[in-house]
Amino acid sequence: MKFKKILIANRGEIAIRVIRSARAMGIQTVAVYSEADRDSLHVLLADEAYLIGPAESAQSYLQAGKIIDVALKSGAEAIHPGYGFLSENAQFARDLNKAGLIFIGPTPENIEAMGDKLASRELMKKASVPTVPGTEDAVSNVENAAIEAEKIGYPVMIKASAGGGGKGIRVVHGPKELASSFRACQSEGLNYFKDDRVFIERFIQNPKHIEVQVFGDKHGHVVHLYERECSGQRRHQKVIEEAPSISVPSDIREKLCSAAVKAAQSINYVGAGTVEFIFDNSTKEFFFMEMNTRLQVEHPVTEMITGRDLVREQISVAAGYNLTFTQDEVSISGHSIECRICAEDPKTFAPSPGKIRLCRVPQGEFTRVDGCAYPGYEIPIYYDPMIAKLITWGKTREECIGRMKRALAEFMLTGIKTNIVLHKNILEHPHFIDGSYTTQFIENELSNKSQRELFMFVDDHIFIISAAIKAYQEQKRKDTSRLSTARRWKTLGRQSQLRN
Amino acid sequence: MYFEAESNGIQFKVRVNEKRSSWALSVQKNEGDWKNFEISKNDFRDINNAISFMFEGQSYLVDVAGNGTEFSVYTRGSYRNIKIFNDEMLLHESLKSGAIQGANDQLTSGMPGKIIKIFVKPGDLLKKDDPIFIIEAMKMENEIRAAQDATVKEVMVTEGSAVSAGTVLITFS
Repeated sequence: MKFKKILIANRGEIAIRVIRSARAMGIQTVAVYSEADRDSLHVLLADEAYLIGPAESAQSYLQAGKIIDVALKSGAEAIHPGYGFLSENAQFARDLNKAGLIFIGPTPENIEAMGDKLASRELMKKASVPTVPGTEDAVSNVENAAIEAEKIGYPVMIKASAGGGGKGIRVVHGPKELASSFRACQSEGLNYFKDDRVFIERFIQNPKHIEVQVFGDKHGHVVHLYERECSGQRRHQKVIEEAPSISVPSDIREKLCSAAVKAAQSINYVGAGTVEFIFDNSTKEFFFMEMNTRLQVEHPVTEMITGRDLVREQISVAAGYNLTFTQDEVSISGHSIECRICAEDPKTFAPSPGKIRLCRVPQGEFTRVDGCAYPGYEIPIYYDPMIAKLITWGKTREECIGRMKRALAEFMLTGIKTNIVLHKNILEHPHFIDGSYTTQFIENELSNKSQRELFMFVDDHIFIISAAIKAYQEQKRKDTSRLSTARRWKTLGRQSQLRN
Repeated sequence: MYFEAESNGIQFKVRVNEKRSSWALSVQKNEGDWKNFEISKNDFRDINNAISFMFEGQSYLVDVAGNGTEFSVYTRGSYRNIKIFNDEMLLHESLKSGAIQGANDQLTSGMPGKIIKIFVKPGDLLKKDDPIFIIEAMKMENEIRAAQDATVKEVMVTEGSAVSAGTVLITFS
């Protein structure tokens, strides 16, 4: 079957992304929106748009029942959930099927299989996908800990069962430190979390976040579209992504990608999915972390290097078609980087909602912007601060970085604070340039920079001069109007005297 | 027109002189040397409420948001929050609230605020424009200068004291 109309149960840039592919396929689009989103670009771009509730997500974009009602009322045949909100909600997918609608995404069983982190790792172990080596059960004493640590291989991490936030976690580099660290974790676990169970696992020294894009259809085909590197993150929020990763050698790439395919095949995966790995840049080992059963924010970098429209493929797979390509037809061409442009303070990372004044989006060769910003648009405080994804492509990584710098220089967004300047700093950093950056990179290298260092790209004088000229002009206008008021009083006085 | 500005903890003094075909600006950063800049009016454009000008051979498009004394200035992916005020603005404000060195020989506060610094002591001979004290109001530090030559008779406040509008600060003999 071919869809005539689909509903997009999301907002912002991803809703727009789906509208674009659907429209290019000749499919009508239905948007839904909250009271805070009447002016959002996805509402303005869709063929139809319906209000579904108040600003809070729980009362609008998470209202599965209301969204299904709108789909039925508008005559949409399928729903694309985007990412976040209802995208990994198995019950929503089931309810859709019951209502006679199609969920553009994986099966409810797929979502459930990967929804529980611990259970999914067990599942992967059985499918012989590598996971981080560690103890299955709690380790009760120092002697056993030493045996387990030897098996796992140093350095190891000792973790209290409920440990977190720096409490109940110790990194041990060799057998000598083991006993004291083990006891410290046990007592911290007991003191802070009332739980003295302790586990041991491999400590990844130079961790990188590497993920593989996979795709399945309803006829048992599963392929991969190579990896993305998303080590540029802060507090587990990705900031900058690229494909392919220059840290993955080609023989490892083959193993990594087939492990991802194996993971997807083991649960008969349907649609777009991402298998996330933690990658040790010192040993080039990779270990399964989790699988995201949805389209990822950073999917465009994969589209750029493979030439495949992933949203188009999602819609076509949901409609029951075979994948439009085989594994042999997928190859990597060049390099792509994505910068997430967020309305936030580049130093504190605090969201900066507000009204956009100027919005000049980069254009030109090999440059793509997936965004929802426009001049005069007021960014609501209720949702994610990401307002655009800037994506560039180059024949080589170096060319791609050069284009990204150029595109960032063209990007003008005023009235709100943005992290554009943070991206400029990342692209200039030697650890990013040589590709050695890990998941700790932004935290360690860029988070503690003073605002002055971060803003080194523009001379202070420019700002002061501009403000001074504006203040001067304002003052002059005031003086002139005061003068003319005085003049008016004099005229009035003269007139009244004449009357007398 | 003379301005004092603060941005990112840096203090600036600025003189703006509008000429027929250019803006002549002198800027002093953190009590350093004065730097002079000349911005041609021929190249100065208003584009969509932003200003475009040439500065040291580079083309800038700058958006200055805000008004009065607080501005947010954006260009080339960077921004600064800038507090800026001039003596005239301060003087006008004070005159409006009816309080500055008047006919009687005393100086009263034109605004409620906190005395940050006092530059004078009894017996000092002041020249017109000599700084007298700094008062902080609305998160802004305002330097109050002598309106004319005078001799300080008595200082009625101390550094750190909070004053309300109309408080007598200094008397002159």
